[in-house]
Amino acid sequence: MTRGALLRFGLLLAAIVALPLAVRPVVASEIWIFAIAGMALNLIFGYTGMLSFGQATFFGLAAYTAGLMMIHWHAPLLVVLAAGTVVGALAAAAIGYVCIQRVGTYFIMLTFGFNQMFFFIAYKWTAVTGGDDGLPGIPRPPLALGPLAIRLDSSLRYYVFVAAVFLLAFYAMKRIVDSPLGVIFQSIRENPGRAAAVGYDVKRYKWIAFTIAGGFTGFAGVLYSMMFGIVPLESISWIISGDIVFMVLIGGIGNLYGPLLGAAAFKWLSEAISVVWERWPLILGVALVLVVLFLRGGLVEAFRRLRDALGPRARPEPGAKLPVGIAAETEAGS
Amino acid sequence: MNTSLLAGAVLNGMVTGMLYALMGVGLSLILGLLNIPNFAHGVLYALGAYVMISGAKAFGFLGGLLTAIVAVAMLGAAIEYFGVRRLYRVHPDYILLLSFGLSLILTESIILVWGPVGITFQPPALLTGAIDLGVTAYPKYRLVVMVVTTVLVLGCYLFVTRTRYGAIIRAGIEDKEMAAALGINIRRVFTLTFAAGTGLAGLGGALMSPVRGLLPTMGIDILPFAFVVVVLGGLGSLPGAILAGLLVGVVQSLMTAIWAPGADASVFALMTLGIIARPQGLLGQR
Amino acid sequence: MSDGALLRTERLTCDFGALRAVNRVSLDVRAGTLHSVIGPNGSGKTTLFNLMCGEIVPTDGRVYFEGRDVTGLPSHRLPHLGLARSFQRTNVFGKLTAYENVWAAAFARRTPGALGFLRRASEFSEVDEEARRLLGEVGLAHKLTARAETLSHGQQRALEVGVTLASSPRLLLLDEPTQGLAPEATQQMTRLVQSLVGRYTILLIEHKMRIVMSISDRISVMAFGELIAEGTPDEVRENRDVQRAYLGARR
Repeated sequence: MTRGALLRFGLLLAAIVALPLAVRPVVASEIWIFAIAGMALNLIFGYTGMLSFGQATFFGLAAYTAGLMMIHWHAPLLVVLAAGTVVGALAAAAIGYVCIQRVGTYFIMLTFGFNQMFFFIAYKWTAVTGGDDGLPGIPRPPLALGPLAIRLDSSLRYYVFVAAVFLLAFYAMKRIVDSPLGVIFQSIRENPGRAAAVGYDVKRYKWIAFTIAGGFTGFAGVLYSMMFGIVPLESISWIISGDIVFMVLIGGIGNLYGPLLGAAAFKWLSEAISVVWERWPLILGVALVLVVLFLRGGLVEAFRRLRDALGPRARPEPGAKLPVGIAAETEAGS
Repeated sequence: MNTSLLAGAVLNGMVTGMLYALMGVGLSLILGLLNIPNFAHGVLYALGAYVMISGAKAFGFLGGLLTAIVAVAMLGAAIEYFGVRRLYRVHPDYILLLSFGLSLILTESIILVWGPVGITFQPPALLTGAIDLGVTAYPKYRLVVMVVTTVLVLGCYLFVTRTRYGAIIRAGIEDKEMAAALGINIRRVFTLTFAAGTGLAGLGGALMSPVRGLLPTMGIDILPFAFVVVVLGGLGSLPGAILAGLLVGVVQSLMTAIWAPGADASVFALMTLGIIARPQGLLGQR
Repeated sequence: MSDGALLRTERLTCDFGALRAVNRVSLDVRAGTLHSVIGPNGSGKTTLFNLMCGEIVPTDGRVYFEGRDVTGLPSHRLPHLGLARSFQRTNVFGKLTAYENVWAAAFARRTPGALGFLRRASEFSEVDEEARRLLGEVGLAHKLTARAETLSHGQQRALEVGVTLASSPRLLLLDEPTQGLAPEATQQMTRLVQSLVGRYTILLIEHKMRIVMSISDRISVMAFGELIAEGTPDEVRENRDVQRAYLGARR
C-alpha cells in the first residue's frame, strides 16, 4: 500500500471510531449505510459514466424483502443480508438489461421510470408493504457466528455492526475497482466507441457494473430496514434515489472515498439543519447547484485544492510498479 | 361500468392527456436542444399554478394566466442564462443535476411563500358548472382547458415545423455548431427555447389549477409522467409527445375508473412495454 | 492462408439515404504487405474502414478476414479475430493515462475467466510489460502517467497507434496516422509505420503522397466512393485516371 493510501485508510478508521462521538449512533449508522449505496452509484456513474436516478428501486426492494423475511420467517441476520444483496442484484440485472439498451438521457429516464413504477406498486400494495405507513415490526436479529449470538439491540451496538460490514463492503468495492473491471469501466465512460473497437462488449460490461451496483445497494437496503424497525415507503422512492445522487456528487465523483464524504456531509447537514429549519432541502438544492456550477469534483476536489495550496504534491517515481487505475486515484473524474 | 362513467373517464383522460402532451412538448423542446431531461420541469409547472392564483387575485383570471406564463418563462430564461449555459461544455449530466437542485430550491420556496397546505382555486364564474353532452355531463372549465391545450400543442407543433424560427430551432437541435456557423445566434435560440419550454409548463400548471387544486408537491408528482410521455413518444419528437401524452392520460384515467390502485403503476408499465417493443418510442427516429 | 488475401472485400457498398458513399469496392490485402488507400477528401476511405470494422453495416457486399466472413460483425469482435484499427480523429480514453489507455487495449485480448477478475489489475504482469513495451515503441515511454487529454497532438497520434497495436492484431488498419502532424513528427510516425512492416499486415489510409509512394507495396485509389485504380506505386503514379482524380496534384 502506498503511503497516501495508508493515510487515507487510517483516516477512515479514525472516522469510524470518532463518528458516534460526533453524532447520534443512529445517524452515524445511516451515514455508512448510505455510503455503501453511494459507492454503488459511484461505480456506475463515476467509473462507468451511467447516471442512474433510480437506485432506490434496489434499496427498497431489498429492504422490503428483508423485512418480510424477518417478520414472517424469522430469518437470521446473515441470511437476510445475503437475500437482500441477491434481490438487489437480480432486480438490477433485469432492469439494467432493459435500461442499458439506451444511453444518456434515455437511460437516466428509464431508471427513473422503473423506480417510479416500483414506488407506485409499493404505495398501492398495502397488504404486503404497508403502503404509505411502511412495513412495521422489523426485528433486529442477533448476529449468529457459530456458537456466539451477538445481540444488536442498542443503536451503538448496531452501529458497530454496520461499521464493520461497511468496511467489508468498502474492501469489496476497492477490490472491484482495483481489478481490471475498474479500468474497463472507466474506458467505457471515457470512450465507449473505442472501448468496443479494442474488443470490449460495452453493453455487457455496463450490465455487469449495473448489476454489481444493484447488489451493493440491496445490501445497504437490508441494513436500513433494521434501523428503525420499519421499512418506510421512502426507501423505494425517488427521494432516496436523489439523495444517493447528491451524496456521490457532493462527495466527489469517481473517487472511492467521495461517496463516504458525501454521505457524511449529507446526513450531518440534514440532521443539523432540519432541527432548525424545516425547509432544509432548500439548502441541499443550493449546495447541489453550487457544486454543479463551481466544484464538480465535490468535497474531494475541495480537499485536493486545499492540499495543493498548502504544498506541492510528490510525483510518482518512474519505474515504480504502476497501479492501474491511478487516474481514478489521483485526478478522479473531474 | 356504465357509459356515463366511461365517457367521463375518457374525457378526463383527454384533459389530463392534453396536459401531459403540453408538458411533454415543453420537455421535448428542451430535451432536443440540451439533450437533458429537465428535472425542474415539474416544479415550474407547479410554480405556474401558484403564481397564477396570486396573479388572479390582483389581475383577474386572464391576468393571472398571463402573469404565470411570463413569470415562469422569465425564470426559465434566467435559469438557462445563469446556470445551464455554463455547463454546455462540461457534460449533459451536470445540467440534469443542476435542474434537480433547482427543483428542490423552487419546491421549498413555494412552501415558504404559499405555505405547505393544499389550495383550491375556482375557475372564473363564466366557466363554472357543467355542460350536458348527452352521454354524460362534464365540467365546462375542463372542456375549455382541453380545447385550449390542444390548440397550444398544435400551435407549437406548427410553429416548430412550419415557421422559419421553428426551423432555426430544429437546426440548432440537429447540429448546434453548424447552426452557429451559419450565423444564427444559437445562444439566443437556446435561451428562448428554454424559456418557451418552461413557459409551457407554467401555463399548463396555471390552466390546471382549478381542475386539480394546488399542492407544493404537484410538481414532483407530475414530473415522472411528463418523462414517461417523452420517452414513450420518442425523444425529441413533438408529435410523439402529443400522441404519447394522450395515450398516457387516457390509460391512466381508464385505469383509475377500472382499478384505481393500478392506475399510476400502469403508466410506467406502459412505458416499459413501449420501450421494449419499440425502443425509439412511438414516433421517434433511430 | 499465409499467401492469400488476409483481408478481402467484395463489392462493398454503403448508402446514406440517397448518397452512395462507397460503391462496390472490391480489394484484397495480401498478408505481410503494406497496402495503402488514397484518394481525395470525401472519396469514402474512412467509410470503407468503418464498413470493414463493424462501425457501419454495409448496404451490400461482404468482408472476409482470413477467409472468414466478418461482414457486419459488431466492432468489439474484431480485435479478437486479429484485426485492429486506428482512427483519423484521435479516439483515445481522454482522462486515462497513456499507460492505462494501452493497458486497457492490451487487456481486452487477454481477458481471463470470471475468476481472473478477482486479481488486481496491477498483478497482470504480462499486460504491464506489453503496455510498457508498446508505449516505448511509439515513443511515449516518458509519458506513461500523463493523462491522454494532456498530450500534444503528435503524442496523441502516437498513442492512437499504440492503442491499436495493443490488440496484437495480424492486420492493422491505420487511418491517417500522420493527420495534422508537423514535418518532423510526420517523419517519426512514418518511421514507426515502416518499423511495423513485416510484423503486421497494414492497410493504410494516407494523404501525404510522398509517404505513400515510398513505403507502400500496393496502392488502391478511391474517388467518389469507387475504386478507380490499383497497383504498385509506379503503376498508380502513371495512371491517367488517378492523375485526373487528383486534378494534377502530384507530389
